[in-house]
Amino acid sequence: MLILATFLTSCAGVKTLEIFKKEVPRENLNLAKPTPLELENLRWIIITSENAEEVFKKLEEQGIDPVLWGLTDKDFELLAKNFARIRNQLKITNDLLDKYKEYYETPVKKKQ
Amino acid sequence: MFGSLKIAMVAIMITGIAGAGMYVMKLRSDNAILKANQLKLESAVADQQELLESQKKDFEEILGANKKMNELVSVLKKDLEDLDKRFNKKNRDVGKLAIAKTKSIERITNGASALATRCIEIASGSPLTEKEKNATKKSEINSECPSIANPSYVPY
Repeated sequence: MLILATFLTSCAGVKTLEIFKKEVPRENLNLAKPTPLELENLRWIIITSENAEEVFKKLEEQGIDPVLWGLTDKDFELLAKNFARIRNQLKITNDLLDKYKEYYETPVKKKQ
Repeated sequence: MFGSLKIAMVAIMITGIAGAGMYVMKLRSDNAILKANQLKLESAVADQQELLESQKKDFEEILGANKKMNELVSVLKKDLEDLDKRFNKKNRDVGKLAIAKTKSIERITNGASALATRCIEIASGSPLTEKEKNATKKSEINSECPSIANPSYVPY
């Protein structure tokens, strides 16, 4: 009788609720950002049909080979614009990288 | 016969009392488990709330980042338009100007080239100098890329 009572009461038992929660965060990539560029300044020389001789003479006087790579005014404009576009793209990519790093590599607690 | 009936009755009573006792003990144990479950559920709800808050913050951060990137794209676009204006403002012909004022256009070109070079350095992540940070006047700014070189400058 006692055994029967024990079995009966055990049948309707309440089970302990177990909640498993284990989050293993992915390791941060932590790649170092590329070193910012340090560029050399270059010198532009404007040559016209009038000053060409003078320009080459000055180059020779300064010990520089009297040879120049030329651009028309239109091509110079295009070069300036191309550089501005490259610069803009570089800035956007760099900022995008910063944002991703900030978002994914900042601990959640710190973000709050 | 009456004696064995008595014994049976006593046995039933003892079994009953023992069963009741065990049942009460089980109820108490169940109660303790239920309380623990309740606590766990409350904690799970709190965790969910925390998760929702964290998600909300993430969404805000994503929106903020998007907004900042869009702003950056538009100011950079404006820098490019300004450069175009410098070449073509009021049908300006840089070639003719260079023929007429060779030396001064050469000086201006070299100055602008140095500023543009600095712009590329900044775009690649070079930190701004104090002078660049504090520039507010047209004469102080990097006219090639004020949007990224001079954060204090407000165009006027």
